[in-house]
Amino acid sequence: MKKTAHYIIRFRKAILAVTLLITVVFAYFLKDLEVDPDVFNYLPDDDPAASLFNEIGRTYGGNYIAMIGLEADNVFSLAMLEEVRMLTDSLEIMEGIGSVTSLTNVIDIKGSEWGIDISTLVDPWELPETREELDSLRRYTLSQDMYRGTLVSADATFTTIMVRIAEGTDKISVARRIKDFVEASNSAPVKEVYYGGLPFTLLSLSDIIMDDLLLLAPLTALVIILVLFIGFRSWRGVLLPLVTVGFSTIWTMGLMGMLSIRLSIISDVIPVILLAVGSAYTIHVINRIRETPGATLRIRIRESLSYIITPVLMASITTMIGFVSFIFGSYLTMISTFGLFTAAGIVFALLLSVTFAPAFLSMFPGKGNDPIFNNSKTGKGIHSGGLLRRTGKLVLAHPGRVITVWAIIIAAGIAGILLLERKVDMIDYFKPDDPTHIAEKMFREKFGGSFPVYIEVIGDVQSPAVLKKMDKAATFIEKHGAVTHTQSVADLIKEMNDLMLEGASIPDEKTKIQQLWILLQGETIMEQLVNYDLDAGLVSGTFNTGDVTVMDRFVEDLKEYLEKESTPECRMQLTGLPSLYLKIDKSIVNSQFQSLAYALVLVLLVVSLLLRSFASGTYSLIPILATLVVLFGFMGLTGIPLDIATVLVGSVSIGIGVDYSIHMISHLNHEMKKHGKLEGSITHALNITGRSIILNVLAVSLGFLVLLFSNLVPLKHFGLLVAVTMVTSAAAALTLLPAAMLKIQSMKGTKKNEQK
Amino acid sequence: MKKIIISTLALLACVAMLSGQDASTIVERCDSVTYAPEDQVNKIKMILTDKKGRTQEREAIAKQMGNDYRLFRFTAPASQEGVAFLSLPDDVMYLYLPAYNKSRRIASHVKNQNFAGTDLSYEDMESVPMSEKYDAKLLETNEEGHLLELTYKPGRKSDYSKMVTLIDKDNYTILQSDYYDKGGNKVKALKNEKIENIGGYWIITDMLMTDLKKDHSTQMIFSETKVDTGLTRDDFSLRILERGF
Repeated sequence: MKKTAHYIIRFRKAILAVTLLITVVFAYFLKDLEVDPDVFNYLPDDDPAASLFNEIGRTYGGNYIAMIGLEADNVFSLAMLEEVRMLTDSLEIMEGIGSVTSLTNVIDIKGSEWGIDISTLVDPWELPETREELDSLRRYTLSQDMYRGTLVSADATFTTIMVRIAEGTDKISVARRIKDFVEASNSAPVKEVYYGGLPFTLLSLSDIIMDDLLLLAPLTALVIILVLFIGFRSWRGVLLPLVTVGFSTIWTMGLMGMLSIRLSIISDVIPVILLAVGSAYTIHVINRIRETPGATLRIRIRESLSYIITPVLMASITTMIGFVSFIFGSYLTMISTFGLFTAAGIVFALLLSVTFAPAFLSMFPGKGNDPIFNNSKTGKGIHSGGLLRRTGKLVLAHPGRVITVWAIIIAAGIAGILLLERKVDMIDYFKPDDPTHIAEKMFREKFGGSFPVYIEVIGDVQSPAVLKKMDKAATFIEKHGAVTHTQSVADLIKEMNDLMLEGASIPDEKTKIQQLWILLQGETIMEQLVNYDLDAGLVSGTFNTGDVTVMDRFVEDLKEYLEKESTPECRMQLTGLPSLYLKIDKSIVNSQFQSLAYALVLVLLVVSLLLRSFASGTYSLIPILATLVVLFGFMGLTGIPLDIATVLVGSVSIGIGVDYSIHMISHLNHEMKKHGKLEGSITHALNITGRSIILNVLAVSLGFLVLLFSNLVPLKHFGLLVAVTMVTSAAAALTLLPAAMLKIQSMKGTKKNEQK
Repeated sequence: MKKIIISTLALLACVAMLSGQDASTIVERCDSVTYAPEDQVNKIKMILTDKKGRTQEREAIAKQMGNDYRLFRFTAPASQEGVAFLSLPDDVMYLYLPAYNKSRRIASHVKNQNFAGTDLSYEDMESVPMSEKYDAKLLETNEEGHLLELTYKPGRKSDYSKMVTLIDKDNYTILQSDYYDKGGNKVKALKNEKIENIGGYWIITDMLMTDLKKDHSTQMIFSETKVDTGLTRDDFSLRILERGF
């Protein structure tokens, strides 16, 4: 280490130059950073549910449906129909749009004694004008299942324009184009416009992610500045850690841009994490320099560096454990990517804090009276001595009581865990007053939701047997309750058969179906119902809830049904948003268990290795396990669900929080070697190490609490939960850990006495 | 000075009138060529090509008398053999499905629907003389022919806003037409690939209609064309529709 320290001082100019150069290069690649908020894109490419869903999108004209809801006093007015017609016609010719369905262009099949009428619901160039005509249209439209609740709400105050985004286009930019256009052409009869469906949800998310990034990182920086200023009372002491960690953030995000890794809703928090966690390394380095005596600053820097590199390395390794656990423990690539790049950021922060920071200090030492180098003037920040002394006395006098209190807390936590909810619905990412949230709620209430469900039926779609299977499957899913508005080519054939005066049923002869087909061929709707070769078709429906339990029951029941009903001539398989959401839910739960398992094992190994004692490793798990129970119990009791962001808290807090235990245990070991008595060592460790732990908890928690200002609900929760676990793991390290050690010691003592 | 301006304006007005007249003359002559035969009978082969280049073929026999009487019967593929459409004056249209052994009247009031999966809408297929439908403007006359811009006469409703049509200088047949939507975008293109003189009439025997939005096209190849065969209204009756030719 002495050699390393020597080289760092010797090549300080080169280090500064190279650091700046690398920073400039990475800063350049920041421009390539793109956002991809679509959680489904983070399922692995070979995931069967995801690949079937995408395949269906390619075959049947796109499965990302943007829904524009127009609210009016009465949808059936000439002015409203004109507005709908204008939007429909304009959107149809917009780039990136597959097809548009609305009141003014939807297919309408009706029959009478007179004959067959296959046309559109209204003639777009002869819209009904008189009150009478309009009322008659209203009566007819609301009487048809095909329109009521899909294109018009039952009370005729909402109408929907459904826009399929073409496959192979950038859904978000198409959604933005649609929204901009509709917003610009908003006319008088429309009271309110609602934007629903996945494309608009993704658009809002992508905007929020960018806004959040631009708001939260500076805000965290501000908080860190505040904490550092209290700690150092020196601008150099404030700026150097901040610049160091700022550079490592630029490196990390620039690296993502360079490698075309897109920002997900969770990688949004990487800068916040790096700022909150990474600045500690430079603080340690500066602190050490300050406390090291020496003739010149350069000698002090060299001396302190040769000592500090090892502990800083250890601290960063344990922190990295939390993030590395995601790389191995996650099915969703967004979680493993998050883990990988946060870990990389921590490596960068570590590297810069032991190279760039000391090189900078030795190049620009500043004035001799800078408080940064002057130990006596600092350290007046936070008075926690009294509290820690009292804590020490309590632990020593009543370790049993301390353990009992923790046992009660843990019992409450376990009760809370039973209440733990899971959420995967993207709509819950938005605050309740967010327009996207409001719109989605409206679509669920008035139109049965926006989640497509698909059963792909593989077999000759002109065969009576296959069509009958389709029809039966549609009836089955509608009966299940959560699905509305089923649609398949079987419906059209039934209607047409009725028009040929043979009843609303599937004809038994194939030629009848083939001949009816001639009238349907070329209709836009057919591309959404059957494939080109007519050897596969879709039964689609709308799922009306994001509730995981309902989705789970639906998917399970349906899988069983489809397995039972499938024949070699007619195979049926299920996909759609419920299937994908369930996949994500299962991935989140698995990811939680696996990453926690990895993190715990790694902590045990690393701590045992660092402190050269397996017993110490085991002790370090006590506060961690208590913290985990408190974390999940807190989530259960406060109703914070396990979701794509909160799933990260457990491992992150293990990684950061284990430092407190390490500090306590190593301090205790050190003292025990000196004095041999656990009691005295605890008092000492609490007074000295306890203080720095509290400072660190404050800095890290405050940094993470900045996330409360996020516009994304999961990130708010993430920030709050990390703060809660930081406080808990510190409290556990300061009270439960020594109390448990005392108890274990006394138990061993009793045993030894008994043996004697 | 004033005089010069007035006479220039007058001259310009004359040129405009002349060219306007010229355009409507061209349209009328084109109509008279298009609707010259009393009746005709064709075999039609339709080749539908989608955006991935996949093709489907269909065959039919078509009989037409004047502008208003038409009988269209599919002969291939086998599953759709015998399916027939009968068009009569005043937009009256019947459909016959042999599998049901039934004919039903079908509404044809929405002209923008495509006919039986082809790229031709009912409007594209109807035989209304251009001079009744459009106001014409001559854009230019070049080596290829007369290029006309056709806009709908007041009261005429359509999905299209205008057409730009190239008419042969010598025989006044339509060489090609581009169809524009209300947004001014070119949405369809018709190209008459082959025009033959049959029985003294200029008859289009190979045409290609491309839907530019769907990137889908329909080629229609006409063969065994007979003209002035002496068809009567009885050849366009429901009985004939249900019984076959």
